[in-house]
Order: sequence, then C-alpha cells, then structure tokens
Amino acid sequence: MTRGSRRLLSALLVAAVSLGFLLPAAAQAARDVAGELRKERGRLLEMKEREEKTALELTEALREEKRSKGRVGEMQARLTRQRSLLSRIDRKISALNKRLEGTEKAVRELEAAHGQARTDLQRAEVVAFAGQRAEAGDPWYPSARERERHFMRVYLAADAEGVARITRARERKEEELSGLERQVAVTERKMAREKKVGDTLLSRQEEERRRLADIEREKKRKEKELKSLRAKIARMESVVSRVERQVKERERRARKAAAGGSAAREPAETPRRFASLSGGLSAPLAGKVVTRFGRQHDTTFDVTIENRGVEIEAPSGASVMSVGQGEVAFAGTVSGFGNVLIVQHGGGLFSVYGRLEAFLVKQGETVKKRTVVGRLPGSPSGKSVLYLELRAGGTAIDPTSVIPLDS
Amino acid sequence: MSGQPSLWWIDWRLSRAPLVRETIGRFLFLCLLGFALLSLLLSGGASRFLADRYAITAVLRAGVPAAEAEGLARKVAALPPVRSAAYRDPEAAWKEFLRAYPGLDPLRDAGGNPMPGYIEVRMRPDRLTGADVAFVGSALRSVSHVEQVLAGEEWLPRQLRAGRLASGACWGIFGAFLAGFFVVGRLQERARAVALAGDFAFLAERGVPSGRLAFFRAAGAAVSGFLLAATGTAAGGGALLLSLRTFPSLEGVIGPPSDLLLPRTVVAVALFACGAALLSAAASLLGWRAARSGRK
Repeated sequence: MTRGSRRLLSALLVAAVSLGFLLPAAAQAARDVAGELRKERGRLLEMKEREEKTALELTEALREEKRSKGRVGEMQARLTRQRSLLSRIDRKISALNKRLEGTEKAVRELEAAHGQARTDLQRAEVVAFAGQRAEAGDPWYPSARERERHFMRVYLAADAEGVARITRARERKEEELSGLERQVAVTERKMAREKKVGDTLLSRQEEERRRLADIEREKKRKEKELKSLRAKIARMESVVSRVERQVKERERRARKAAAGGSAAREPAETPRRFASLSGGLSAPLAGKVVTRFGRQHDTTFDVTIENRGVEIEAPSGASVMSVGQGEVAFAGTVSGFGNVLIVQHGGGLFSVYGRLEAFLVKQGETVKKRTVVGRLPGSPSGKSVLYLELRAGGTAIDPTSVIPLDS
Repeated sequence: MSGQPSLWWIDWRLSRAPLVRETIGRFLFLCLLGFALLSLLLSGGASRFLADRYAITAVLRAGVPAAEAEGLARKVAALPPVRSAAYRDPEAAWKEFLRAYPGLDPLRDAGGNPMPGYIEVRMRPDRLTGADVAFVGSALRSVSHVEQVLAGEEWLPRQLRAGRLASGACWGIFGAFLAGFFVVGRLQERARAVALAGDFAFLAERGVPSGRLAFFRAAGAAVSGFLLAATGTAAGGGALLLSLRTFPSLEGVIGPPSDLLLPRTVVAVALFACGAALLSAAASLLGWRAARSGRK
C-alpha cells in the first residue's frame, strides 16, 4: 500500500468517525452525507485495491528489474573474466606457437644437419673404403699408412658419434615438439570450451537484456498506470477532504442549532496540539523506527515516497498501547493496513494504529494512556512492524516530534 | 845373393804396358766395389731403408697436455733402441690425415678436429728388430697417457724378413763381384806369367828360385792390391759422398755422409783393403802355378 492511499484512508476514517461520533445530534442530517461517504469509500477502496495491486506489480517489476540488472551485471562481470581468461589463453597459445615454431625450426635444422652428417659419413666411408681397396698411402711408408688408417677409423667413429648425437638431439626435439603440440591442442580445446562458455554467456546476457527491456517497458506501463491511479486517488482525497469539511460545517451548524435551543451556548471545539493533551503521550510499544515520516527516498526502487506516519519494528506479538487517553473511534480492516484502530483524542487529534493482529478494545470504548489496544502479528523472523500515524486538524504530523521513539 | 837383381815389381820392369792397363782396370773395379762396400756398410743392407720408413705411433688420449706429451716423447727418445721420438699435436695429425684423404676436408667444417695427438717413435737402423720393437711398444703401452700403440705387428716381421733377405742379396752380390775380381786377377796373373815365362826361365837358369820369384810377384800384387783397394774405396767414398750431397733422398736408403768417417767404417775399409791385398796375392800365386803347370 502506498503512502497516498494511507493518507486517503486516514482522511476517510476521520470523516467517518466525525460523522459517527462527534455529531450524534446531527445524525439525521449527516446520514445522507454518510451514505455518500460510504459510496465514496467503496469506490475509494476499490481504487485503492487497484492502486495497491498496481503498486505491488510495479514493486515486483522493480524487483525483477533489479534482479535482472544484477544478473546482467553478474554476467557482465563473468564475461569480463571470461574475456580476460580468453585473452590469457590466447597469449599462452601465442607463446606456445612461438615455442612450437622455434622447436620446429630446430628440428628442421637438426634434420638437415643429420642428413648432412649422414651424407658426410657415407662419403667418408666411401673414401675410406676406396682407400682401403686401393691401399691408399705410400706403400714404402707402411707405418704412416697404418697411422692414417687408424686416423680414418677415428674420423669415422667421430662422424658416427656426430650422427648419433644429432639423432639423439633430433629425437629429443621431436619429443619436445610433440609435447608442445599436445599442449597447444589442449590449450586450443580449452580456449574453444571457454569461447563456447563466453558465447553462452553472451547469449544469456542478450536474453537477459531483452528481458530487462521488457521489464523496463512493463515498469513504465505500470508507473503510468500508477500515476493515473494516484491522480484519481488525489482527486478522491480532495473529495473526502471536502466531505470532511462539510461534516465539520454541519457539526458546527448542529452545535449552533443546539445552542439556539438551549440557554447555554457550547463553544466550538478548537483544534489542539498533541503536546497539550492531558496526561501527555507515550510510545505505543518499545521498538525502533524503521520508516521515517515525510519524503523518503527508497534506494531499492529508486523512488521518493511521502510517508504520513512511521513504521516501528518490534518483536512479534508485542502489545500495542494507546499513546494517550481518548475514545476508540474506529476498529476495522483497511486494505493495505490490515487491522486498523483509530483513537480520537479530541480537539481534532487522532492516533492511527495499523497492521495489528487483534484488537483488545472495542469501538466507542474509552481508553487511557498506555491502555493495551491491540497486539502485533507473529512473524517467522520474530519481528513485526506497527504503523503509527498522528493527525492534528486533518494533517498528519511526525510522531517522533511528539513521542519519544527509538530511531 | 847380394849381386842378384831385386825381384820387387819384376812384372812392372818386364811388362809395363799390360800391367798399367790391368792396374787401371783393377782400380776402377775396386772403386766400384769400394762404393758398394761403403753403401752396404752405411745402409746396413736394407736396415736403414726399413728403419727410415718404419715408425711406432703412440696414439695419445684426448686431453693430454702438449707439455706432458713432449716430456713423454723426450723420455721415449732416451730409450736405447730409439733413434728419435717426436710429439705431433692434434692439429698436425689432422693435417696429416687430410693430406692422405684430401676429399674429406670440406666434410668436417662444423665437426671440428677429431684427431688425437701422437708420438712418432723411430728406431735405430741397427736396432730395428722384433725384440726391440716389442720392448719399445710395451714401454709405451705402460704409459697412462697412451691410448694405443701402432707398431705394425702384422706386417713388420714380414718386412724384417724381406730386409734380411735383401741385405743378404746385396752382400752376396758384393761377394760375387769380389770373387769376380779374384778370378779376373788370377787370369791376368796367369796370362802375364805365361807371357813372361821366357824371362822367368832365364832367371831360373841364373839361379833365381822360382818360389822366390813367385813370392815377390805375389807380394807385389798384394801391395798393389791393398793400395788399389784403399784408394779405390776412398774414391768410391768420394763418389758416394758426392752422390749423397747431390741426391739427399739417398740418405734415407744409404745413410748420412757423416757415417763415412765413423771408426767402424774406416776399420771396415781397412779390412776390405787387406782382403783385396790377400785376394791379389792369391790370384798372383794361383796364376803363376797355372802358368807353370800349363793349365788355364
């Protein structure tokens, strides 16, 4: 229920109370007005229900929007992380590819060197074999020939060792190459997987954005509807105020007529201030003010709302006491406030207690200060909220300015 | 007897011209023999030829410092059968290898030099025997720096045997020439004795004993043979010296000219001259006897 509807309800109730209790002498004259008021009240309640429904839908839309924005933000963050991861993987793949190229080059060079070494060895073997067959060297110097043959064996052994060394190096490089290729393949698979995840995230983000746009459209539609309803309520409030004024006027006339019929003239009741109430005021219960009076900005929905009263958080089932002496003017159900109790303190002063679970006094019953008038409902969280509104001369005033409340 | 004429150089007085021819012939022959003798003495037959071409190669392990290798070479050179020992570093070995297999030069541009250093040990020609080679080889193998010893164990005995045969052949030929010298000398002595038979008969009639005549003739032949051999050998030595100076490569086969003046060479030449004197005397006596008996 919105603050506007609360104000309207309060006005309506005040008017009804005024009609029902303050002017019993002019009851006949006020009956027509009361009937009109009942009709207006019915229409107003209907409109309020619609407003509440729309407001609830809007609230839900706002929550959904917030959730959706949260999801979009989360997805954005995930996408950013994903992009960072992809970038890292890309860099890793680049580095691996670079290493791969280097190793491939090394393998190619080793293969070329291996081929050259093998060719050299074969040529050396041919030369050695030819020399052996032709009995190379000076036959008159057999020692030198023997030494040269020994050197040829040394040469061939060194060449063979060189070929074997290059072969081993090539095998090592090829192993390294295959390891790198495996690494690249694994990394590429990982990258493909992450890209897929990124694509999924992107599509989900896109979907969420579309949904958000739908929500935005819905929100705008609801806001428009709510605005329209509020305008209607305002008009209705205006009507109620007018009726209230008419009631007061009739009440004044009735008193005047009554005064004309009797010797003593009863002076008109002048509006009083809560501070001047006999016995003073006390807190309805021990609790903490969680919603303040006046214009308040709701960070959840990013809207500014006008509070006509305060909300006091207290333990579930806590007793609610009258803030001062008076008479119960109204005890009934009001849409959006649950069970509502209105205490008339006289002089145009009223205190309104909403969201009660049960009434412990009856309409018309006189109450004193700190008389327990009702009880807060139970809640799984163990905490409940009492709506408290104070009205003086048809105007809502800040309860914390006249009653000591924890804030 | 004091009135009798001297029988020294009787042939020279009786037959001067033929004797001059024979003497010139003998001198030239002895020059040739002297040359051969000196060559054989210096070369030791085929020993110097073999020793000049034979070397023991001690292949060193990789990483042996040059200073240590050179020290080892000096120690090896001090062994009695060794004529010289020289260290060749890996670079020299590589160059030697490439000289033998020039086609392999470009094949190892990047491979570096795989050759080890080595010590080349050369034997004295007179100590080039299987036992001395084995001694030096075992001495080298006992050194830790030496990885392998190449001493030609497979072919050296064969070469030594061939060298011995060649030396024997050379000395045989020399002996044959010497025998030829003797035979020719005998024939010349006989021919001269026949030619001078009348003169010798006249002297015999005058009371000169034939034995005495033969002795003096033989003595004269011996003296002339000694002198001819000595001078001929000297001339041959001169020719050999000239040849060695002209063709230094011959030194590898024959030997250095300085060996000509070694005492053993001089003694050998003296013995040769004595031998030639004896052969000349024998040829003279045998020729005399043949002439007297009418044999050829």
